[in-house]
Amino acid sequence: MRAVRGVLITCDSAVKQILLTLDERPGQSFIIEDLDEFHVLVRADEEQRVRRELEAELEKNTYSMEA
Amino acid sequence: MASKRTVPEGSPGTPSSKRLRSVADEDYVDVDDTEEDRIATDAALVPRGATINLSALTRRLNEERRQAGSDGQPSLPPHRHLQDSLVSHIFMDQDFSWLHLKPDHASRPLWISPEGHIILEAFSPIAEQAQDFLVAISEPVSRPSFIHEYKLTPYSLYAAVSVGLQTEDIIDVLNRLSKVPVPEAITNLIRERTLSYGKVKLVLKHNKYYVESSHPETLQLLLKDKAIRDARVVSQASDANKMTTFTTTKAPVKGSLVIPGTKDVERKPDDPSKATPGASAGTSGSDGDLFTSVVGVESDEIDEDDENVHAFEIDDAKIDDVKKRCNELECPVLEEYDFRNDTVNANLDIDLKPATVIRPYQETSLSKMFGNGRARSGIIVLPCGAGKTLVGITAACTIKKSCLVLCTSSVSVMQWRQQFMQWSNVTDRQIAVFTADQKEKFAGESGVVVSTYSMVANTHNRSYESKKMMEFLTSREWGFILLDEVHVVPANMFRRVVTTIKAHSKLGLTATLVREDDRIADLNYMIGPKLYEANWMDLAAKGHIANVQCAEVWCPMTPEFYREYLREQSRKRVLLYCMNPRKFQACQFLIKYHEDRGDKVIVFSDNVYALEAYAKKLRKPYIHGQTGQVERMRILQHFQHSPEVNTIFLSKVGDTSIDLPEATCLIQISSHFGSRRQEAQRLGRILRAKRRNDEGFNAFFYSLVSKDTQEMYYSTKRQQFLIDQGYAFKVITQLDGMENMKDLVYKTREEQIELVTTVLMQAESAADLGTDIRGGEGDLAGTITSKDFGAPVQSKAPDAHRTMGSLTALSGGQHMSYVEQNKSANKKLAKEAVARHKLFAKRDREVAAAKKEARRGGA
Repeated sequence: MRAVRGVLITCDSAVKQILLTLDERPGQSFIIEDLDEFHVLVRADEEQRVRRELEAELEKNTYSMEA
Repeated sequence: MASKRTVPEGSPGTPSSKRLRSVADEDYVDVDDTEEDRIATDAALVPRGATINLSALTRRLNEERRQAGSDGQPSLPPHRHLQDSLVSHIFMDQDFSWLHLKPDHASRPLWISPEGHIILEAFSPIAEQAQDFLVAISEPVSRPSFIHEYKLTPYSLYAAVSVGLQTEDIIDVLNRLSKVPVPEAITNLIRERTLSYGKVKLVLKHNKYYVESSHPETLQLLLKDKAIRDARVVSQASDANKMTTFTTTKAPVKGSLVIPGTKDVERKPDDPSKATPGASAGTSGSDGDLFTSVVGVESDEIDEDDENVHAFEIDDAKIDDVKKRCNELECPVLEEYDFRNDTVNANLDIDLKPATVIRPYQETSLSKMFGNGRARSGIIVLPCGAGKTLVGITAACTIKKSCLVLCTSSVSVMQWRQQFMQWSNVTDRQIAVFTADQKEKFAGESGVVVSTYSMVANTHNRSYESKKMMEFLTSREWGFILLDEVHVVPANMFRRVVTTIKAHSKLGLTATLVREDDRIADLNYMIGPKLYEANWMDLAAKGHIANVQCAEVWCPMTPEFYREYLREQSRKRVLLYCMNPRKFQACQFLIKYHEDRGDKVIVFSDNVYALEAYAKKLRKPYIHGQTGQVERMRILQHFQHSPEVNTIFLSKVGDTSIDLPEATCLIQISSHFGSRRQEAQRLGRILRAKRRNDEGFNAFFYSLVSKDTQEMYYSTKRQQFLIDQGYAFKVITQLDGMENMKDLVYKTREEQIELVTTVLMQAESAADLGTDIRGGEGDLAGTITSKDFGAPVQSKAPDAHRTMGSLTALSGGQHMSYVEQNKSANKKLAKEAVARHKLFAKRDREVAAAKKEARRGGA
């Protein structure tokens, strides 16, 4: 089997759920292995994109005075 | 900005912490000195009262300048320039470091930016006086503990003029208090605005409307306008050249007007003759009103120049046009009512009961209203639970003319009526109620009518009786119209009320001058300027309202719930974050904790489905829209009196439609999205709880929020109003000891998963908020009762459920029987009153027997 470079992500359970939903989007799968409640292994080359999207997702729930 | 205080004395090198501390120490000593100083100067000031007296401030500032000057003021150290260039990009156009501080800035409490923002150091020794002044001239934006922000707006200046402040005085005092010279732009703004604002008054005298001013040139200016000229009524004897002359009369002075229940009562509480309003006593500010001593609101301006006022009469029918036109000409008219000289309208003989004493801030607000012996129209802003109603009633008792009270719902109509009976000596016959169900008229010449906005403003579909009642209302002249909760009334409805009902003076009352649609400005010219706005923190510190600890409890979503939440796009998301098992647990824990402390707890949930689920699971009684009247009363009764029931769950009905008993702890599990008003209103439910123990907080306000969901967004938004009032929300991420609590609900994963499946099976409509309440006919659309803050929800039949099953099975033929699990705690409450103890029962019997005996003896 071909070796894939992975990054281990440690997160809380809520963030993990968000990651799983992001993963479900068609053609954007990045999770290599769902390890346990707090850890997932993701593809290294997708890491930055995932971080950005996660950030955007979390930002939706933040209220700022300007908005 | 506050950091600037220590900067000028710092050495250009690295300022050591020791150096900083020594500066702070000096400051502390300063404060101490001036504290004593102030008491001394205040005492000296007392007898003067009514004149504009700035000397107190000047003297103090001079003194402090001397102290500051003795150290020698260093010129701007070189590192400051460097600093400016380093930090200024952070502040962008808000960088005002180019404003030069005055040499004695440390002893002055505020900054003014060229845009009209005023920043006040609330810890300054003279902050209290400064605050009084700022509240009069500007709008409070945000008032947390140490730094307050105010904003000068055209309307706030308009309000300042209307309570009797003069242009030059405003600029002068601002300059004295400011650390920086008052910017040119601000002085210009003040000059420009105050010049035109408030110079013209609309007075109803002998039932004729007059436009009145002490500046004849302003009247000339107005008369140049065609619309106003046409509205002018010219008396028969006038000829052409009389057009330029006005009726001239002596200006009124405050004289002997006493607001009932105020100073006199407080000075001699045991002397009943003094307590009666109208007893003539000088109102020289011998109670040492600080505000008066600083800026002199009472009657100085009129006393001083002994000026005559000029007036011309205008046509009743054209009042509205004139008002509108004046606004366009930037000369809005003030409305004042010379009620003591009104001989046409019958007096209403009501007084406050002798036992009624009003609080200092209520008195201050009323003194702004009756400042020159007439009744000014305007708005008074007081927190919920601080006695708005009493302010209204006192104003009515001062004016003593027929009075119309308008409120938002039929429930508050009954409350107002009841409060009138409680605080004043108005009799049953003098007070009438006009709602959809009840249409009464008062007996006699004058009286009080309590009604709702929509009853009065409604133009179509009136029943015969309502029509008659409206004719009664419109045919007569009202001395005073009281508008409750003014912030919720839509502008067009207001206009209709104001034009159909002829009233001499208007007073608006509200707790939260915020509208979700930000249309506050409309109120400014329809009712009048804001006369007074109380500082919540101040009132809490003085014990008039409860000291509240606010907290936001973050409940993490369980993985199952969050998974579903992320996948769910419909409205059912709301349901998922409401029903989060961790929230259940937090709720259970907090209820337990506060019940053990002896608190009475109210839990609010706007979502009816969640409300029932929580209440049933935690076995507590609950009330929502469908709860019958009898059951409601029983539950409330138990909550108030029985030590067994310390917690109730309430839906939105609790916001407006129930007269809630006192509670000391409030937990919110779901709320109406980002409504700031609702948050403030709910907090108001526990503000009534007055000081129970002397130390610390005596009321608690929790919002339970599911983490990482939209609720976080709404929750922060909701809090904005309260934060601006100075409340701090503590974030609790972990409730200590919750995990180990006995019989914690939904502890196991299986239970949680079961819950998530039940929730998912619910129809989408279960996620709607406040569906249980429907606005009644008389209720105002836009109060929180209805689903979308809009029109009352049209009542619709509950959706029918269809289930499949064989006839034999459903009728019990297959040995099926039904048991009700998860019963509502409402049913467990005893149907009848709690049986009395034998001891008391016996005593009751004896008392009854003794009475009987006495009667027989008497006959």
